[in-house]
Amino acid sequence: MKKEIKVYRDLMGANEEWAQKTRVLLQEKKTIMINLIGSPGAGKTALLEKSHTLLAPPLRLAVLEGDVETTKDAERLLPLNIPVSQLLTGGACHLEAKLVHYALLDLPLDNLDLVIVENVGNLVCPAEFDIGEKAKIAVLSVTEGEDKALKYPLLFREAQAVVITKKDLLPYLPFRLDACLEAVKQINSQAPVFVLSSLTGEGLDAWAGWLKEFGH
Amino acid sequence: MHEFSLCQGLVESILEEMSRLQPPPRRLLAARVVIGRLRQVVPDYMQWAYAVLVKDTAAAGSELLVRTTPVRAKCPDCGWEGELALTFFACPVCSSAGIEIVNGLELYLENLEIEVEDEKGN
Repeated sequence: MKKEIKVYRDLMGANEEWAQKTRVLLQEKKTIMINLIGSPGAGKTALLEKSHTLLAPPLRLAVLEGDVETTKDAERLLPLNIPVSQLLTGGACHLEAKLVHYALLDLPLDNLDLVIVENVGNLVCPAEFDIGEKAKIAVLSVTEGEDKALKYPLLFREAQAVVITKKDLLPYLPFRLDACLEAVKQINSQAPVFVLSSLTGEGLDAWAGWLKEFGH
Repeated sequence: MHEFSLCQGLVESILEEMSRLQPPPRRLLAARVVIGRLRQVVPDYMQWAYAVLVKDTAAAGSELLVRTTPVRAKCPDCGWEGELALTFFACPVCSSAGIEIVNGLELYLENLEIEVEDEKGN
């Protein structure tokens, strides 16, 4: 005999529980966590390197570096003299809440204002997984194409801010910045957009200013 | 390819739900999940991962059924409510950007179809 059993159980349930634990922990420690999401090579690590001097002081920062393999990004950030942990997923295309939670427990949270998570380079999967962050930040470089917001609507819809990097390359590319901004606006007209270059420093002030405000 | 990771959680949930059923079911015939259109979860990949993950479990041989839901939104400014194209998140009537997503982000296990013994033991 066939029988139907109603269930209604969230598939993200286990991840969500860890994300919630993280939110409680961070609230207790009065620490803000943001989640940088962008393609491989979008300039997330360069953005971190260059934002650091503009943020700290007054903000006390730490970085969690998410990658599939190698500790190269964490090593790159060593000169900044801030706590950096490298999270290796060993193949998984995104960070999950449990891994991030345990990484946070290893950080001196009592002495931190802002934890920046650099997620695994990917515009799809990291957008699906809540890690307990206060904000997802979408990072897109001008070498990737102007229509990315339309192609990856979930990330750009969920992002609290959008950073467009490598502005210094604009004169050499057929990339239409106005079309890119329009695409972002179609998906999310409320998120502030920062167009900047980590190489020349142009536009970094506005981004860091927003982040400082957000972190307080 | 986060479907595999999602599916691991799904299969754990199914096995847990099955273990709670009294009387214990003979077998699981199918499990149905609901996936919103805004979720970047590919039904085919979910079904493939499911087939791999249920092997040698109490859910072995069962089928994963997927119901997808369109993106629906409502506008707090003009009261419009309806289906939304995935490429434009503004009210189609008054262009308000403050629309709220009502459907399209679902991701849950909806039901289980099980085979149980009837009173005659069939």
